[in-house]
Amino acid sequence: MQSVVSLKNVNKIFGSAGRPTTVALKDINLEIGRREFISLIGPSGCGKSTLLRAIGDLIEVTSGELLVNDKPARQARLNREYGMVFQAPVLFEWRTVLKNVELPLEIMGVPKAERTQRGRAMLKLVELQNFERHYPWQLSGGMQQRVAIARALAFRPELLLMDEPFGALDEITRERMNAELLRIWQETQTTVVFVTHSIPEAVFLSTRVVVMSARPGRISDIIPIDLPYPRNIETREHPRFFELVTTVREALRKGEEMRET
Amino acid sequence: MMAGASRFQRYAPPLIVFFAVIVLWEVLVDLLNVQRFLLPAPSVIAEAFFRTFSTIMSSAAYTIRSAVIGFLIGAGAGILVALTTARWTTVREGLMPFAIALNSVPIIAFAPIMNNWFGSTNPMSKIMIVAVITFFPMMINMVRGLTLVEPAKIELMRSYATAPLEVLTKVRIPNSLPYLFNALKVCSTLALIGAIVGEYFGGPRESLGVYILQEAQLFRFDNAWAAIIISALLGIAFYLIILAAEKVAIPWHASAERE
Repeated sequence: MQSVVSLKNVNKIFGSAGRPTTVALKDINLEIGRREFISLIGPSGCGKSTLLRAIGDLIEVTSGELLVNDKPARQARLNREYGMVFQAPVLFEWRTVLKNVELPLEIMGVPKAERTQRGRAMLKLVELQNFERHYPWQLSGGMQQRVAIARALAFRPELLLMDEPFGALDEITRERMNAELLRIWQETQTTVVFVTHSIPEAVFLSTRVVVMSARPGRISDIIPIDLPYPRNIETREHPRFFELVTTVREALRKGEEMRET
Repeated sequence: MMAGASRFQRYAPPLIVFFAVIVLWEVLVDLLNVQRFLLPAPSVIAEAFFRTFSTIMSSAAYTIRSAVIGFLIGAGAGILVALTTARWTTVREGLMPFAIALNSVPIIAFAPIMNNWFGSTNPMSKIMIVAVITFFPMMINMVRGLTLVEPAKIELMRSYATAPLEVLTKVRIPNSLPYLFNALKVCSTLALIGAIVGEYFGGPRESLGVYILQEAQLFRFDNAWAAIIISALLGIAFYLIILAAEKVAIPWHASAERE
């Protein structure tokens, strides 16, 4: 299996001279294959967001090897090989929905006609084709986040990095968004790295769940999710779903206990 | 029908207050037998307003010119300096404390100095006082607008490997527009204050400030009051022009505000 993301002995230490340092990431080893959907889950301060940001070269690692598509993360960023979705939609208030989706294409110098066509196709993918002329404030939180996903996918990145994208949504909207994200993932040829606090969300979405623990932030377990596709509402009521939720929960608890001893 | 009713509900209270104050003013001046030089009745001011309108407007033309030219120079320079410092953080950090300190100084106090430098009948003395008065609020607000950008927006641009100039044109400048228009509104008022008060310290005979001063000194308070009302109307007009420009330039912001 070819790796999209490859981490070898990655460490990240925060802090400057003369101040106590924080080991945000310690000896991280992880290979993420093409078309995988990886969730990073763990308590606050376990470094899951830091890890995601390091993969996106939004922060630099202190030591170790971090490759994206067999290149240093920085080169992958400069080549625009990944799309990013944050917890907040981060839409530009002065742009309409369509213009927001076109933003990365504009920066990448895609001609106008193609930009509009691709923007519209992306809005169709997230089922917002009737809202292209709206401004962000006219949309609900869930709709805004769908615009952010459309924008991240607009330039067809091979890798999608998502930092708790549904964290601010209510449970019902969140479950609908989960199903929608899974459909988009299957329709596109994207690899996803997804940070979350929610165990059911991680189990429902992922091919593998990476369990992390805090102080120092490290990977304490990796759990493959063997739920069949297509996954839908019934998946959430499947006995295997509950088993896996329990497995992840126990792995999280074990990670915490290891820290205390 | 509904729209008509809500519009009536919106405009009725201020109109009622306005006419109530005018009527009360008229009645009290008459009842308490207030001397004309202390406070003329609204009817007297209104009579003077229509009688002297063309005289006042020809004086006001000079004042309007000073205010507008000074405003354009001051606000324009404020925008340019802000754009420059947005690029160079160290320059900005060195400059901002002084800008904020100077902004809280009553710059109008320099008016006599400006009259001394340029000559009180030279239009430049009024234009410069207006330019200095409008420069600081414009610059400070513009710097805020260019720098107070949601950090995630900058991170997003970084994820697209965006060139710094494009971060300026696609994020910082659009982000600054609401700040820009707020500053323009503040400056529109300041520009007129600067021009008129500047004229109080000496200016050509044909100017609003000198006219108000002269009429007051000659005990023609009805004429002075008429000129004050015209300066108030000018201030409102100036403000409304900028409000209209804002609605056209940043519809996304004005509409979001309505919500």
